[in-house]
Amino acid sequence: MVPIQIENLFFTYPSRETPTLNGINADILPGDFLLLTGPTGCGKTTLLRTINGLIPYSSSGKLTGSVRLNGKTISTQALTTTCQQVSLLFQNPDDQLFCTHVEDEIAYGLENIGFPSDKIRQRIILALDQVGLPGFESRRISELSGGEKQRIALAALCAMQPQVLLLDEPTSHLDPRATRDILNIVKKLNAEHGITVVLATHQVKQVAALCNRVWLIHKGQICLDLPKAEAFRDISHFHRLGVQVPEQNNSQIITATKHATKTPNPDSFLTVRDLKYQYPNSDNLAVNGITCDITREEIISIMGANGSGKTTLLHLIAGLLKPTSGDVTIDGKPAKRLKLHQLAGKIGIVFQNPDLLLQAKTVKNEIAFGPKNLKMKSQSLIDRVDETVAQFNLEDFTEDSPYSLSCGQRQRVAVASTFSLHPDVFLLDEPTTGQDEQHLHKMMDQLCEQVLQENKTLIFATHNTELTHKYANRVLLLNDGEVYYDGLPTNIPIDQCLLQSVI
Amino acid sequence: MTGRTPKLETRTKILIMMICGCLVILLDSPSSLFACFVLSLLLVTSSFPSIRQIRLLLIFLFFTTWGLVYSQGIFYNAYPRTVLITLVPAEFPLIGEWTGGIRLYHEGMFHGIIQSLRFNTTLVIGCYIVWTTQPRDLLLALGQLRVPGALAFMVTSALHFIPVIAGEASTVIRSQRLRGFRFLQINLISTVKGVISSFRPILAGNIRHATNLGESVESRGFSPENATQRTSLQSSQMRSWDYCLLGMLVVCLISVIGLKLIYFCYANGIYYASWLRGLYTFTREVL
Repeated sequence: MVPIQIENLFFTYPSRETPTLNGINADILPGDFLLLTGPTGCGKTTLLRTINGLIPYSSSGKLTGSVRLNGKTISTQALTTTCQQVSLLFQNPDDQLFCTHVEDEIAYGLENIGFPSDKIRQRIILALDQVGLPGFESRRISELSGGEKQRIALAALCAMQPQVLLLDEPTSHLDPRATRDILNIVKKLNAEHGITVVLATHQVKQVAALCNRVWLIHKGQICLDLPKAEAFRDISHFHRLGVQVPEQNNSQIITATKHATKTPNPDSFLTVRDLKYQYPNSDNLAVNGITCDITREEIISIMGANGSGKTTLLHLIAGLLKPTSGDVTIDGKPAKRLKLHQLAGKIGIVFQNPDLLLQAKTVKNEIAFGPKNLKMKSQSLIDRVDETVAQFNLEDFTEDSPYSLSCGQRQRVAVASTFSLHPDVFLLDEPTTGQDEQHLHKMMDQLCEQVLQENKTLIFATHNTELTHKYANRVLLLNDGEVYYDGLPTNIPIDQCLLQSVI
Repeated sequence: MTGRTPKLETRTKILIMMICGCLVILLDSPSSLFACFVLSLLLVTSSFPSIRQIRLLLIFLFFTTWGLVYSQGIFYNAYPRTVLITLVPAEFPLIGEWTGGIRLYHEGMFHGIIQSLRFNTTLVIGCYIVWTTQPRDLLLALGQLRVPGALAFMVTSALHFIPVIAGEASTVIRSQRLRGFRFLQINLISTVKGVISSFRPILAGNIRHATNLGESVESRGFSPENATQRTSLQSSQMRSWDYCLLGMLVVCLISVIGLKLIYFCYANGIYYASWLRGLYTFTREVL
């Protein structure tokens, strides 16, 4: 029996003219492990939400065609019925966990559908076993790592014992080790429990080894639907759409390094001395005695597992956090003596979530915001905005609202609006989140080019070793808030799991 | 934090909030309102708040008290009223002429103190509930108190997101400052514009988080329509001290309502009995 049949599926969001799902016809067979990939904004998430019944249940828009599960049309059955058959794991665990304790979180779905408490307890134990976290029942969710939180979110779905498990970029917020753990659990659920898996991701390399079928989606249509063995024989489709492919030669990545060959300026511009930081209500130091000298024209990648202190270090350098002890000196001046607005033009930061930077009504105003605050004269301001728009290829969107753009475009706007101040040090926190390879490399190419042209420094935090090899000329590898390695990226293994295993 | 004292059941906390809310509206005397405020402080002290929570509570109390006393002191328009300080004389060009002078009134400040005691009592109990209750328990308790499911979910998810929103708001403000924006500047219009635009990413973030959480719980079977079929892993039982405390508060509330009614009848010439003279005096002086 075919568990999921998709027929002539079209869906258009209310604010859009073109359909996001544009005539999808396909079947998903029982026990399939389907890899769903495609460029940012191609319709992956919308398709998952349609299979799960959230569209049209909680999202307005025009839906035609049907998704049938075991012969029944999902859009006409109650979501409380669908949720017992199809479960959806979201991207960010913090956005989907509702309770404060693990057992409450896992019990939540079962309570909603009226399970008796003794059966709920049995299911909690079983679900925690399935995700490899037995004995976690009474743990507080706030005390768990990002990887553990995502496993708890998965356990909450496993407890519902669904036939179909949908996963929407489930590892994009996780470090390589947590990613591997989640994917292994999903594979086990598929192989041992016969759960049909549909996993949407940009991280094709990690998932391709586990799946048995691949869908490549572009502009709301399935442009490739093949078994895994055949899907990657001709990778031209993937390359054309800028989507990652599993087989990629490591040496190619290293030789493709175009920015790493520049010799850094020996004069130290940014110095970090015995920097320590402890978050309030925490017993451990998030950053524990980091010391380093950074010169102009350096492109530095900060790497390390989740919780190793990457983001905290960036925030300390940016002056967003005041160090518990130690100093950051920029161009000879201690950063802690400067007010944040006095650091404008010296330091710029783009967060992992670039939306937190976007506050203007149009892209043009967003880019002008910083220079305007620095009282740039009107003609210079216009020139600066035009120049930045051109540098980051944003000419088509200048009058659009930043929030109306795709995820990749929003990140480019955030980068451009920070870059418009021409900061001496540009900080970029995990640029890979939610980005397809094409958009990511395009943005990094543009940024690195501008940084080097203008004799600036770029520091980016990432889990992605390939990005490090391609763009960085120095790596700071952090472990438990300390520098584990500081040197050339060529000494860092490309295999992300191997990298974590040596820390 | 809550393990060191008898833990009140969530329904008890909500009912305490409701009863005290009614009491502070009914009471007019500063001494009885002050007594309510002290009791609410004792309640929050029993939960052993952290230094950070105490600091936060003190900031809340300071600003609400200052704001209410000062605004009531200036804008008090009942009579009699006694001028304490003239802030802007009536003959002062433009503002003085336009407003007829700005003065701080003694009676207005007194009225402000009463209002701030009312407001602060409920504020302190609200903080106590937020600091000692898990969102899940709150949702369960609201359901048991027959609050509609959608409303209960909205209240609970709002509480759930308070730390997230606070964190994001702080990031947005600091990132704007890092892009050269100064929140305190002579040009007030620029300041206001900057503050308004900083709401945009915070609001967008809230909507996104709330949408994701809403979809997450809906795709796990949450539906206000199915609230009656819902079961619960944790059984939540009200214990003897919950009943005792609620009983005392209900008696207080009923007594205050009764005394106020008796006094109202006396004051409006509807009913008078000489043997109730003690109650009339007590109500007028104490309540």
